Amino acid sequence: MKKVLQSSAMRELLRVLIAITVALTLGFIITVLVSDDPIGAYKSFLFGPLTKLNRFGDWIEESITLIFLGLAVALVFKAELFSLGQEGQMVLGALAAGAVALFVPLPGYLRIPLAIMAAMVVGFLWGLIPGYLKAYLDANEIVSTLMLNVIALKIYEWLLTYSIKPPDAGYTASATFTAEGTMPTFFPPIPFLGELRTLFMQQTNISIALYLMIIATVVVYYLMYHTPFGYELRMVGANIKFARYGGINTKRTIVLAMAVSGILAGLAGAHVAGGIHRKLILNITFGLGFEGIIVAILARNNPLLIPFTGLAYGYLRAGADVMERTSDMSREMVLVIQAVIILLVTAERIMPMIQKRIRTNRAQRNGDPPADAEVIPAKGGD
Amino acid sequence: MTPIIEMRDIVKVYPNGVVANDGVNFSVEKGEIHALVGENGAGKTTLMKILYGLERPTEGEINYKDRLLELNSPLDAIDNGIGMVHQNFMLIPSFTVAENIVLGEEKTRSGLIRQDQAVQDTESLAKEYGLRVDANAIIESINVGMRQRVEILKTLYRGAEILILDEPTAVLTPQETQELFKAIRALVDQGKTVIFITHKLREVKEISDRVTVMRAGKIVGTLKIEEVTREGLARMMVGRDVLLSVDKPPSDRGQAVLQVHDLSYVSDTGVQMLKNMSFNVYAGEILGIAGVEGNGQTELVEVLTGLREASTGAAYIDSRDILQADPRVVRMAGVAHIPEDRLTNGLALLATIDENLIVDRYFRAPIKKGFRIDQGAVKKLGNRLIEEYDIRTINGQVPVSSLSGGNMQKVIVAREFSSDPKLLIAAQPTRGIDVGATEFVRQELVVKRTEGTAVLLVSADLSEVMSLSDRIIVMYEGEITGVFPDASTVTEEELGLYMLGVQRQDVEEMEAVL
Ligand SMILES: Nc1ncnc2c1ncn2[C@@H]1O[C@H](COP(=O)(O)OP(=O)(O)OP(=O)(O)O)[C@@H](O)[C@H]1O
Ligand SMILES: [Mg+2]
Repeated sequence: MKKVLQSSAMRELLRVLIAITVALTLGFIITVLVSDDPIGAYKSFLFGPLTKLNRFGDWIEESITLIFLGLAVALVFKAELFSLGQEGQMVLGALAAGAVALFVPLPGYLRIPLAIMAAMVVGFLWGLIPGYLKAYLDANEIVSTLMLNVIALKIYEWLLTYSIKPPDAGYTASATFTAEGTMPTFFPPIPFLGELRTLFMQQTNISIALYLMIIATVVVYYLMYHTPFGYELRMVGANIKFARYGGINTKRTIVLAMAVSGILAGLAGAHVAGGIHRKLILNITFGLGFEGIIVAILARNNPLLIPFTGLAYGYLRAGADVMERTSDMSREMVLVIQAVIILLVTAERIMPMIQKRIRTNRAQRNGDPPADAEVIPAKGGD
Repeated sequence: MTPIIEMRDIVKVYPNGVVANDGVNFSVEKGEIHALVGENGAGKTTLMKILYGLERPTEGEINYKDRLLELNSPLDAIDNGIGMVHQNFMLIPSFTVAENIVLGEEKTRSGLIRQDQAVQDTESLAKEYGLRVDANAIIESINVGMRQRVEILKTLYRGAEILILDEPTAVLTPQETQELFKAIRALVDQGKTVIFITHKLREVKEISDRVTVMRAGKIVGTLKIEEVTREGLARMMVGRDVLLSVDKPPSDRGQAVLQVHDLSYVSDTGVQMLKNMSFNVYAGEILGIAGVEGNGQTELVEVLTGLREASTGAAYIDSRDILQADPRVVRMAGVAHIPEDRLTNGLALLATIDENLIVDRYFRAPIKKGFRIDQGAVKKLGNRLIEEYDIRTINGQVPVSSLSGGNMQKVIVAREFSSDPKLLIAAQPTRGIDVGATEFVRQELVVKRTEGTAVLLVSADLSEVMSLSDRIIVMYEGEITGVFPDASTVTEEELGLYMLGVQRQDVEEMEAVL
């Protein structure tokens, strides 16, 4: 049994590696076609995030957001709920965290946890709504969450423009958070890294959100696989009729799954507000709201894999960013390359199809007909 | 006579390491009805899937009409005149009968499908083989018996000469089975060949010319039907003697556990499915419900178990009305339920066996410890039940979808029997399971009842109802038309009259014994 598991895990890994190689080759071909200095441009794409400490920092920061969002998506997808509401939950999470950071006169050690809590609560509540609509009114969650995203975004913009923006500010943004409202950077004092540690703390913005992210990953995993709620969630996803027959309160499970997922999207919001931008700006989600879906699909909704797929996808985005800034590649081409890679890696069906082809061909070759028998020709095949 | 099909040295190892066929030699002669029998998980379906091109053999070859047959997909099999009707039907529910039958082979006129032609073809084909279907009906709206005829017609439409029927009678009423047999005989008269998988040995004797017995992936033997007895077949299949009849100590009836009063149910489409039903189920008795399928039995069970909301009436368990309660409350009141449709309700196919076994108890001790699920306790429970109920699997951590049909049923039976119920509602509990497992389930039902559990048994298998029940009620069009306080004294014919609505007892007469 163990052997089988290992070999299937190996095959899976191999599958992903091949897909990545093919994708990168394709990406390079595109670069050759478009760029005057394809080698330089592609190098900046492949290694950009590692060339400077601040670029490295950008990579990690964005990955943290992606991982929170990926966890949020994995939770609902595991229950076969196709909620796309992470964008809205994230925006409102940022708003709540930002409001606390800006306006609650508490010392930092209380204000920051309160800001984080506020983001979690708001995310939870904003997830509760489509959950209720789905469970009790049978409203399609894809439609309702997309609508709620728009509402959330408009609330955010409205409050930012008319209430939060300082009246004398030249553009639509809040005041920068004071230290009391900013997620502090923290790097554990590992003895041998003395120099590097100060460098890190100075040149990157990697904040305590990193540790929050790690905790969140473990909590989501534990919740999913070791608690009654996680069991209910998975059974609702596996076969909702069976769940109901077995006595699971499927309506409650649907509502809770959507709401708990909102907590994680809310955390992503707290991170972009209090950890990355340190103020509230227009378009604060940076279009990341839907990227959690890719992170979750790559990890097959397995929470323990999400940090890895989040980092990998974040790296891809960061590399594309560097390429766009340092080479003659246009943003559009960079996005095309990125899309090609994602497409190939997520196309779960491509590899199995090739495998089947190979097997079929091999079988046909080996099944050479004996002299006296006539092989009935195989038509079609799939 | 030379065989039309010869499968030689077939070995099939599934990717998860299960050896489903282990050096099988199987041959079929032209124009015969060949029964294939064996325990759950013996590899019957796998062998037939190989013949139909759905699975590729790991080793071995197929000779067909004296040529080597190379199958890459069912399309190849169909091209060669081999058709299969699966254990689980594969029709498109929202299409009409005719559309399903011509699907993929539609005749067109200027790019449009010719509906009229499809209907016509369907009707003439149906007439030719005596397989009654309504060409214009939507699949969703027809019963299993007709669905099966549609499946058979579909393969015939594609020119099948060899028909593989995987447990075709498991879902049929006795009448429908007889109709099917008539059709099979008509097919053979026209020169077709039929391979027929079943667990019902009576049917083997009745319809087949030869029978092949499989056990644990190997062939035990192929025999002419005159040479075998049911007992002999059962012994060959299981490797030991099997009791084909139930041995039952006298019933020691106790208190009423379930009291149903004036229960009525109107379906979403406005049809009255249950009409003023009143009856009791007592501790220590098996109450059998006889009736032609589709006369409200499904609805009755689902209303009682909280899966449907009843329109009016009451159902008390220990003076507590469970009629409008949700399934959790019903279960906590001490009701266990073996559902008739195991793939939709009874199991989550993609979840593991262990996960399927805990759905009624994951939220309490010993599975729940503090606020977490104790994986150790889950495994322990899984291992115990797998052992006790003889579920054939490598372990409890594999998905239920990798089990054979009969072993899936054992997972449900294991969970429901082990919950220590006061009332056990068993709907078609032995449908699709082998003789050994059937013996086991029937014995367990009797043991539970003798220990004092109240058992409500719903089964389309009349002989099962008659041999297991202490008391029988007959349902016809959602009503109780007859009660037989002593099941051992009624005859099949007598029940039949009530089942078809020809006779009914007085309400007063019945009230006394309900
Ligand atoms: N897709 C699959 N993957 C892995 N194992 C499988 C798969 N299908 C069947 N098996 C295993 O192969 C064995 C044979 O299964 P098969 O379905 O052929 O049995 P069967 O004789 O048809 O049984 P039943 O009477 O219960 O339908 C079983 O142990 C089953 O668990
Ligand atoms: Mg089978």
